[in-house]
Amino acid sequence: MFVSQSMTRKVITVAKDTPILEARALMRQHHIRHLPVVAADDHLVGIITDRDIRSVLPYKLAGGESDGQTEPDIARMTVSEVMTTTPVTISPTHTLPDALLLIQRSRVGAFPVVDEHGKLKGIISVRDLLRAFINVLGIGEPGTLLCILVENKVGQLKRIVDLITEEGISLGSVLVARYWEKDKRAVFPYLLTNNVINVKKRLREMGYTLLDPMEWYLDQLPK
Amino acid sequence: MKRTGFLYDQRFLLHDTGAHHPERAERLQAIVRGLTEAGLMSELVMITARHADMRWLQTVHSEGYIRRFEEVCLAGHRMLDCQDNQMCPDTWDAAQLAAGGTIEAARMIMAGEIDNAFCAVRPPGHHAERERAMGFCYFNNVAVAAKYLQAEWGVERIGIIDFDVHHGNGTQHMFESDPTVFYYSIHQHPSFCFPGTGREFEQGLGDGNGFTKNSPVLPGQGDETYRQLIEKDMLPLLSAFEPQFLIVSAGFDAHRDDEMADMRLTNRGFEWIIRCIVQLAETHASGKLLSVLEGGYSLERLPELAADHVRILLEG
Repeated sequence: MFVSQSMTRKVITVAKDTPILEARALMRQHHIRHLPVVAADDHLVGIITDRDIRSVLPYKLAGGESDGQTEPDIARMTVSEVMTTTPVTISPTHTLPDALLLIQRSRVGAFPVVDEHGKLKGIISVRDLLRAFINVLGIGEPGTLLCILVENKVGQLKRIVDLITEEGISLGSVLVARYWEKDKRAVFPYLLTNNVINVKKRLREMGYTLLDPMEWYLDQLPK
Repeated sequence: MKRTGFLYDQRFLLHDTGAHHPERAERLQAIVRGLTEAGLMSELVMITARHADMRWLQTVHSEGYIRRFEEVCLAGHRMLDCQDNQMCPDTWDAAQLAAGGTIEAARMIMAGEIDNAFCAVRPPGHHAERERAMGFCYFNNVAVAAKYLQAEWGVERIGIIDFDVHHGNGTQHMFESDPTVFYYSIHQHPSFCFPGTGREFEQGLGDGNGFTKNSPVLPGQGDETYRQLIEKDMLPLLSAFEPQFLIVSAGFDAHRDDEMADMRLTNRGFEWIIRCIVQLAETHASGKLLSVLEGGYSLERLPELAADHVRILLEG
């Protein structure tokens, strides 16, 4: 649940005086796009991204092939000339929902994780958050997703979970989403089973509507 | 007229999954009834089920898993690895016979004793992983047969076509790095159906990259969508691969009357699919085709679907 548990701890970093071509080579070598810039004692002083570097490279260099004809100016350029000096950072004690909301708001691909003394502790990227989210959804495990339409009143989820328990089925996860009809909720239980015939039948007998999969919405509401 | 083999054994019925499980003995009884009522039984060459040799099971399953299955089963436990895999002490025997019978069918085809075969087996196999029972499957019958064909008969290129409504995760994983086995699966989209794999971007690994192809189908689709996908994906890719032998994971649960998933194939749709596969086998594999039962849970539809399937194999 905490950033410290999902972040990458072994961070590849550069210093302010690292040549940008060296920084670019590091990114390629490690298949990453963000390099925190640190001073002595891992103190964070900025971040440099592949986009920052591309924006200062002439067109032919940005393309990739290093032909040995690097222009001397660019060869001399250092990280400090193109880095962002005030990166958006996050603390290791912040939560994953904090990170998700922050990433949505700030539109960056990764945050340096910095402690209260400004020291770099790790980096957390969209990729790390996706991994955590996939884990939360349980979709790495074999199972079947259902979508049940319920009245928005107390006790609905209990009835559904009781039924699933009676059927001896394990739950991978349960999502509850808003539904476009007023006073309705869409419940998405992810059942760790292939065998959904009985549970579907019994849900219908209890008066629930099982939504046609083609009518499922996770993030958009009609009209 | 082809010489079509038929594998069936009463001992497959002894694999007891309990009172309310959809993968039940009545499925096979329905299939046999369908073939009998259609007057097809006398046309078929009966194949005798035998226990699979341990060395063939070990080509796709770890020894530890096989031993664990045996011990858990014979100790009287009612499930293996997950609630889905309900069993009884006879399950161990049935699973060995299903895999061994499928090997025997493959042997008969290669030896020229029959042209093709339909194996009405329980338990099914395509979800079974190397180390794990899954989705009602214990031994991966189709995968074991493919390994047998490679090792014993030197078959260089094997095509596996899986039209069960669920993706055959086990089979895919067993061959995804092997460029000599092409795995094609058409199934309900994994975001809406067990087991959650078989997405379009899963295309094989390493040397096997490009030798796995998945055609996920959105819920509610039927004959026309299947036809389009098979013509776009399966036929060109498998034709280019030129398989010397075709194995089919024949699941009938994409039928519109099957409650296990949300597909809407009709009897005619299934007929069209198997005709395409028979044609592929004729063109590239001298007709060598081994069809093995996977899912299919509508006891009303199974008799006619199996009869249609076998009739097309006989016509060749």
